[in-house]
Amino acid sequence: MKLMLVLLFCLACLMPRIASAQQGDAALISSDDWNAYKAKFLDPSGRIIDDANGNISHSEGQGYGLLLAFLAGKKADFDLIWSFTRTEMLLRDDRLSAWRWDPAAMPHVTDINNATDGDILIAYALARAGNDWNLPDLSAFATEMVKAIAATTVRREGGRLVIMPAASGFSQGERSDGPVVNLSYWIFEAFPLFAKLDPDTGWDRVASDGLALIKASAIGPEQLPPNWLSLKDKPRPAEGFDPDFGYDALRIPLYLVRANVAEPALIEPFAAMDSGIPITNLSTGTVREKLTEPAYLIIPALTRCVLNKTPVPSQLTKFTPSLYFPSTLHLLALAWLAEHREACG
Amino acid sequence: MSNQGKTFSIILLGFIATTLWLTYDSGGNADIRQLVQTAQTPPAQEEPQPLNPQTPAPPPPVTATPTAPTPAQPAVDETALRYFARQGDTKRLQAEIARLRALYPGWTPPADPTAAPVQIDSELDRMWQLYAQGNYAELRKAIADRQSREPNWQVPKDLTDRLAIAETRERLINASNLKQYETVIRVAASTQSLLTCADLDVMWRVAEAFAQTKQPERARDAYQYVLRNCTEPSERLATMQKAVALLPRQLIDDLLALEKTTDGKSEFASIRADLIRKSVAAGAGDPPQPVSQEDVAALEEIARTDKQAEDSRLLGWYYLRKDDPANAEQWFRDASAITDDVDAAQGLGLALVALDKPAEAEEVLYKWRDTSDAVREDYMAAATNLIAKEPRVPIDEAILKRIVPAVAQAKNAAAAQQLGWYAHAFGQEETATQWFTTALRWKPDEEAAAYGLAVVRMTLGDTKGVTELQRDWTGRSERIATITEPQIRTAAVAEATRAAERKTATSSDTVSPKQDVAAPRQTRSTSGGNAPSRKGCSATDLYSSTTGASALTRAWCLMELDRPAEAVEAFEAAIETGSAATRSEAAWGQTLANIRLGLPDKASVSASKAPQTGQRARDLEASILSLRASGFFEKKRYAETLLALDQRARIAPERRDLMVLRGYAYLALFKIAEARQVFEAIAASGDPEGARGLAAVRAALDPAPQN
Repeated sequence: MKLMLVLLFCLACLMPRIASAQQGDAALISSDDWNAYKAKFLDPSGRIIDDANGNISHSEGQGYGLLLAFLAGKKADFDLIWSFTRTEMLLRDDRLSAWRWDPAAMPHVTDINNATDGDILIAYALARAGNDWNLPDLSAFATEMVKAIAATTVRREGGRLVIMPAASGFSQGERSDGPVVNLSYWIFEAFPLFAKLDPDTGWDRVASDGLALIKASAIGPEQLPPNWLSLKDKPRPAEGFDPDFGYDALRIPLYLVRANVAEPALIEPFAAMDSGIPITNLSTGTVREKLTEPAYLIIPALTRCVLNKTPVPSQLTKFTPSLYFPSTLHLLALAWLAEHREACG
Repeated sequence: MSNQGKTFSIILLGFIATTLWLTYDSGGNADIRQLVQTAQTPPAQEEPQPLNPQTPAPPPPVTATPTAPTPAQPAVDETALRYFARQGDTKRLQAEIARLRALYPGWTPPADPTAAPVQIDSELDRMWQLYAQGNYAELRKAIADRQSREPNWQVPKDLTDRLAIAETRERLINASNLKQYETVIRVAASTQSLLTCADLDVMWRVAEAFAQTKQPERARDAYQYVLRNCTEPSERLATMQKAVALLPRQLIDDLLALEKTTDGKSEFASIRADLIRKSVAAGAGDPPQPVSQEDVAALEEIARTDKQAEDSRLLGWYYLRKDDPANAEQWFRDASAITDDVDAAQGLGLALVALDKPAEAEEVLYKWRDTSDAVREDYMAAATNLIAKEPRVPIDEAILKRIVPAVAQAKNAAAAQQLGWYAHAFGQEETATQWFTTALRWKPDEEAAAYGLAVVRMTLGDTKGVTELQRDWTGRSERIATITEPQIRTAAVAEATRAAERKTATSSDTVSPKQDVAAPRQTRSTSGGNAPSRKGCSATDLYSSTTGASALTRAWCLMELDRPAEAVEAFEAAIETGSAATRSEAAWGQTLANIRLGLPDKASVSASKAPQTGQRARDLEASILSLRASGFFEKKRYAETLLALDQRARIAPERRDLMVLRGYAYLALFKIAEARQVFEAIAASGDPEGARGLAAVRAALDPAPQN
């Protein structure tokens, strides 16, 4: 019955409301919030700094930076980040981005591998900016990247269309428990746009298969998905990683909400986390730590709003930048909330 | 546009947004050309090709994104120029003047570019500053900020064009540093204005990307573009150096054809010399690559002119690898004279060993022997050859004294074994025993040392010791097993004895060289390739000039007809004109022919004319020594007879006929005990020649006739 629901899942429902993010129009991220964010995490050279990670930059951060600048309606900052990203990181022969840029190393790219969520975020931000700001060059670049992502990372595995986490290192041939995927790399809000730019790949199948996988991988009494998932047999936590619902997987509910996926079976497990997001060892059920800062707490709050129209508490909507990762998620949550004021308070 | 008289055509690279221009001149040589053909580009090197008036005009370059301004347009944006001038950035100022001249042929630069224009746009100045500092992302932001603040502000196209090019250049270089060569080519194709003489680094990286993606011809085209259009001598040379590192010789030659000569000096002389060195070095490599004679001759010329030790050494190694030790010796000596170093000494040592001059080799290598394992081995080889040198000459005591500790230190079994033979040759059997024993301790499976020990024990009459050795080496050494053969064998001797008796008495046929060489001879005649052909030695072509392989065929044919004197000449022709393999076989054949003629000295010379395989060399040596022994005996030179027999015994078991010879030689020298021992051994094998010998011994002791 659940499977049926997934198959009936409607792609159009995923389509983000292309709310006007034009400059001058009401932006989805306030100038104050964006300025606070960029003061802390945007280097004048155009790179987003991961301050919890030796101040390196990565393709994920550049993708988030582009998306947030777009949602804040700040084209100048978008141009800044894009110039850096294209010049310094979008260097791979397969047209994807190198994932890691280290200010202390020379050459700065210390690992030419890609990280597919970074590529998806960059392509998605380019596509939205190209659309909304009517910049055909950006749209063309986005199209080229989406096709490259499909060619290099989208595979058919066990009857599903899945996104490999990188061009190499995770397939059946490369790992004894391969293929291994990361469900937080399914950035659902991007796929309807991808489907328009690249009609041949079946991005709607990528989306619906991703939702099915989230359900199929729910583990334990809390019914939570792990960060890294082996698809060799029945979906289970991948070897060599902690069998955790952790910092990666906690983005899954945020992405579901941002893509307007309202299906209770998918969201309910997260709505229950009202006292904090539990980083959980799914093998033992042990909670390693509980994340209680507003930047994290707003995520389950959003799911409760989607499920029950419970208003998001006002103390969660005040943005105070802490570290790069939670601050980024916080702004993404607030941007969605800006479009759903009436429903969620 | 008629500056070159070339037929242009456009080859698109195989990428989506391809705008990298390849133009082809009428000779079919491609070069990459920036879309904006610059006035600073000199005409190509080749002679101008007159345009045939009937030839249709060359099609204009087609471009997907036409950006070239029309020359008629006088509106020249001088903001960048004035900015750089005010900043005192003369390098960028000059580059900008050159660029604008190229873009607008009718334009002349302002007399005083620092003179303030009508109004100063300080914000635009700041933008140019960001550009000059390479802060391209910040410049992007500054432009977008101003555009949003001042919707009517028009960003200068010059600025955005140059910014795009600068960003692209940086991206290309980043991709190149990360070996993302397809990205390099893609990026270059999208921004062909990057490909100019003013920025050869980019051009080199693009060429490298082509070479690294298995498109060497395209890499060649890129380098060719540089050599046709760019004039800076140091950059031209650097271009060639990069090409040499990445391209095959054939394509490099295409580039060398574009070499310029100034004041009689060829700009790529050093490149050519390096290529020649590389080629000769490959010829000296393992396995050796074919080298053209021109390259060898050219390097010899360079070596003689420039007198670089390295070049002489390289030639030495080349000749050594080519089995031409005489030439190798000469070049290594030249090298040593320039720089006395281990490499030249090592080569010289090896050449001297190959030339059978082990004493000189030992001398040369001695002081370098501890430099490396390889040199130590070479020194050991030289010393070993010196100790083993035939005919035996006493080695200077000082030299022997330095060789011995070196052998001990290296624990070199081969050298120890040779020291054993050396001692044995001079009758120092105790010392010989020690050396052979030592050799066996260092290398227990050294059969030659065990055989040497057996020979010494035989000499000393230590039959028990010999039996021990035979037991130890059962199944592992035929010659040790048969060393006592006359004592064991009893059958099938009558006829051999009769022959031995006859030969011992008189002729040089005492030992039969044919017997010694029977085996290899047969081996040869059953092998198909060079089967003797009757036609090859008919009387009619006796005087025809046969050479190489046909001379060899003819020589074997003459041997079959038992005409060894003529065969010697035919073999000589084959040695002089044949390939290495032919020479080797001919030298062997000539040795056999001389043996058959009973000319051991000439046989020795023949044997040294070309290297032989181990077994073949041993067979020949044994035959020659048999011949020598009987020759000496015939001339009543009994001590030398014994010496030859001893030498032979070291490489092959002594045949019974030769033992008979040995017995009579001892007797003639009144070494009664030895003579008796030998004849007793022969008698014990049931050979009546033994009894006859013993009778002769008795007769010698008692000259009184018995009857």
